[in-house]
Amino acid sequence: MKPASHGTTAAAFTRLLEMLQPDLLRFACWLARDRSVAEDVVQETLIRAWKSREELKDPAAARPWLFTIVRREHARLFERKRLPLVDIDSIEALGDPALATEGDAGLDDLRRAIMQLPDEYREPLVLQVLGGFTTAEIASQLQLTQAAVLTRLFRARNRLRTIYGLAPAEDVE
Amino acid sequence: MSAADCRHARLHIGAAPRELPAEIAQHLAGCAECSRFRDETLSLDARLRSALEVPLPRFRERAPPARRLALAASVVLALLVAGGAWLLNPKPALAGEIAEHVAEEAGSWDKQQVLSPADINAVLQQAGVRFDTSLPVVYAMACPFHGRHVPHFVVQTPDGPMTVMLLAHEKVSGRTEFSEQGFRGVLLPAGEGSVAVLTRNGAAPDEVAGKIVGAVHW
Repeated sequence: MKPASHGTTAAAFTRLLEMLQPDLLRFACWLARDRSVAEDVVQETLIRAWKSREELKDPAAARPWLFTIVRREHARLFERKRLPLVDIDSIEALGDPALATEGDAGLDDLRRAIMQLPDEYREPLVLQVLGGFTTAEIASQLQLTQAAVLTRLFRARNRLRTIYGLAPAEDVE
Repeated sequence: MSAADCRHARLHIGAAPRELPAEIAQHLAGCAECSRFRDETLSLDARLRSALEVPLPRFRERAPPARRLALAASVVLALLVAGGAWLLNPKPALAGEIAEHVAEEAGSWDKQQVLSPADINAVLQQAGVRFDTSLPVVYAMACPFHGRHVPHFVVQTPDGPMTVMLLAHEKVSGRTEFSEQGFRGVLLPAGEGSVAVLTRNGAAPDEVAGKIVGAVHW
């Protein structure tokens, strides 16, 4: 079999994609706040990743590499289709699966609160907690300073602290 | 220690509690209030991770049929473009359902007491399965799954507890590795059915899964 890159055969690359696909879809869902859009984004991501697999030199870097592609594909789709902005009330009214009750009301409340965070807070938070990115990597992804990323992450968590039953911390300038 | 030090520490803790610079770690050693803030934030983060790991089967189940057909068509197209036969493999959905089921029985992981052969056999008989393993079984339940009773065990291994599900009626074409809801797992074909083995500590389940496959008879 032809190597896809250094030490990554096509079969190994396929296994990597299979393993990471659920988290890619979750990430896309949190970015798009719409599962249909998220599925489109992940399909585009998988196609693009397959075509560009030679670029992945180190299999250990597959996760951040694919998350980056998801982010770009989401932005591209948004730009190309001029998707309407998501209205959080309509998501709740439709009973979006991401907000579905699973018998853990606290978790559902937290999901709703994450969904309602402004994009500028939600995106770095999801990149960090779900994607495993460092603040420096997020800064590079979002083309922000690291200080700006720290502030956004702090404010995102601060909004969620009350949902979790904690007192909010003093805000930062 | 000044209020400004604490504000600076809390900005870092609130932003990136697992990525603290050395000076913040040093500050924490002498500041009980900021240490408590760090502990609270780490606890919030564990919950955040659970919240972000939305169970995927729900997303798939609720897609309208027309959309599923469109999706299937575009996946086939993607397959032709990419030349990767892996996209036809539907097993990630099964893996997601297994992980979701296991997540719902979270208490099963913490069992310590080894069950008697009689307890294990009662579960196996309910599902009509034979299973001869030397691994200590600490949890055994015949769980409803896809309309059938499926033996759900937790076994103790040198790599920690592992969950085993014996899926007599779920045929898989080949080995499928998955990572869902914080679990690492593998699905292996076993005769006319399959076996799923999951770990929650990141340990590789393959060796145990291979033994399980050799020990199960439908």
